[in-house]
Amino acid sequence: MRGATAILKKELRSYFYSPVAYVILGVFLFIMGVIFAKFVDIYQRFNTVQRFGGAQGITLDKLATYLYQNMAFILCFVTPFLTMRLYAEEKRQHTLELLFTAPLKKFELVFGKFLAAYSLMVFMVVVSFIYVLFMIIWGNPELPIIASTYLGLLLALACYVSLGGLISAMTNSQAIAAVWTFIALLLLWLLQSLGQGISAKTGFVEWGPLLVFLSPLGHFNSFSEGLIHLKDIVYFLSFTLISLYFTYCVVESNRWR
Amino acid sequence: MLKLPSVLVTKDIPAFVKLTRSPSNNKISKRLNAFVGENTMIEVKSLTKKYGDRTAINQLTFSVARGEILGFLGQNGAGKTTTMKILTGFMPASSGSASIGGFDILENPFEVKKRIGYLPETPPIYPELLVYEYLSFVADLRGVPKSEKSKKIDKVVELCHLGDVRRRLIGNLSKGYRQRVGLAQALIHDPEVLILDEPTVGLDPKQVNEARGLIKNLRGEKTVIYSTHILSEVAATCDRIIVIDRGNIVAQEALNPMGAAGGLVKTEIIVRKVGDDLRKKITSVSGVKEVHITSNGTHRLIVESDANEEVIAEVSRVVVESRSGLIRMSPIQQALEEYYLTLITGKGGPQT
Repeated sequence: MRGATAILKKELRSYFYSPVAYVILGVFLFIMGVIFAKFVDIYQRFNTVQRFGGAQGITLDKLATYLYQNMAFILCFVTPFLTMRLYAEEKRQHTLELLFTAPLKKFELVFGKFLAAYSLMVFMVVVSFIYVLFMIIWGNPELPIIASTYLGLLLALACYVSLGGLISAMTNSQAIAAVWTFIALLLLWLLQSLGQGISAKTGFVEWGPLLVFLSPLGHFNSFSEGLIHLKDIVYFLSFTLISLYFTYCVVESNRWR
Repeated sequence: MLKLPSVLVTKDIPAFVKLTRSPSNNKISKRLNAFVGENTMIEVKSLTKKYGDRTAINQLTFSVARGEILGFLGQNGAGKTTTMKILTGFMPASSGSASIGGFDILENPFEVKKRIGYLPETPPIYPELLVYEYLSFVADLRGVPKSEKSKKIDKVVELCHLGDVRRRLIGNLSKGYRQRVGLAQALIHDPEVLILDEPTVGLDPKQVNEARGLIKNLRGEKTVIYSTHILSEVAATCDRIIVIDRGNIVAQEALNPMGAAGGLVKTEIIVRKVGDDLRKKITSVSGVKEVHITSNGTHRLIVESDANEEVIAEVSRVVVESRSGLIRMSPIQQALEEYYLTLITGKGGPQT
């Protein structure tokens, strides 16, 4: 693991030496802040209506749930900016020669890079905990639901980052990597609504539910509602591991070209 | 089972081999064979690489002795870089085998990589890091122990004259400094073998000299393969050259100190006056083949002789004793260049 830590350290340095990490962190927190403020506003108005016997059902917990479902979606836009450079940049700078001729195992390389981008994303999500603090100070949210939401976020992020890394390994251009990562993540989200409208069946395969299952949206939503299902955990972990394995294969295949 | 004097076994096997492998292991015996056998560091056997239909290198066979500096000479696209990339384990060969320090590059790439320092054509640097951070990263990557790391970084910084730029961003360095950072990177883990792909490209003349001096200083200590398409460079630094053209080795020669590969050298002598018997006297020195004299104010003598210091010394004695007013006497380095051109152009086929 010595190689993986060396890679991890170097990648984190690179992130924080360029403005990328700061800009993305800032923009992400700003957008989340706007959304949070808007939601609080809506919540208050509904509360006023409720007091006079109007609409029901908007609670602080629902607020947190909506907030995090939005965050999971917004992170789809953030991920490509952090993962695009992982491999594409190494190829452009001809630094793969250094990594491949050093006594470094390929899986250490893949793992180190994944961990670097992942830990940065995790850091962003952890910083977003300030919204929860506001809710705790001025409200009374249900903390176990928030905990399970964070678990879901961490798992979803792992699968975003691994997919972004895989796409970055397949091209030498950061821009192309970013665009494709974004398209891939968006399509994965859309699979949910796409699958719900399909009732076609081929043999045993029901296409609708299959597409819904393949989308991370539903899996994440159950976390954000406080449900921790084994199948959701297995989904995210296997998604991540398969992407990492494919990344390993693509990186390895670079030698044969 | 291998039978060897016990002294050898205990002395020469690196500690990690002793710890992890039993002596009957095949890989060890290979390593030991390399120790016991000749003093060969790099052994390449009918190495071939094809990119689709195009053959980049064709059946290369050569070996490099421990401590030797080998010049790898050829035009652009002759296959120098491909050979180096295969030796360093960056890419696999289509067929053939190669071993470094007794370890096969395919069977035991890890052991091979530990022993190699590699400077590719484009120095593999990260522009966003500071010089010392970059070197520290490479040291980690190469598995340099924490306790020795700062010492080793200091050493290569000094060796490559990077003291002034230690704390500067690599992206802001000039080409020459980047090249030196690349060289420092290749040296950081104190490898037995150095593989340098055109290390002096982009350096100014003073830096080229420094780089050459640096490489010369490694003679005997490290085995170096050094590729270039500049002839004078080879003449200045290498013990031996391999000329490679369109994927084939066209010549393998030891370089003598005179700087010629063909056996004959030309010496230019300029004198004030030429006496009647000067030509005869010089020709009578054994080893001198031919003397041309052209006169134009001063007199210019071109002496063609064996590439032997004794012969040249004798010629100079004769010239001085003839009291002809010696102004200048210098070897003509052209020999190597001419020789090289005949090697490449003599083959026929496309010319540059």
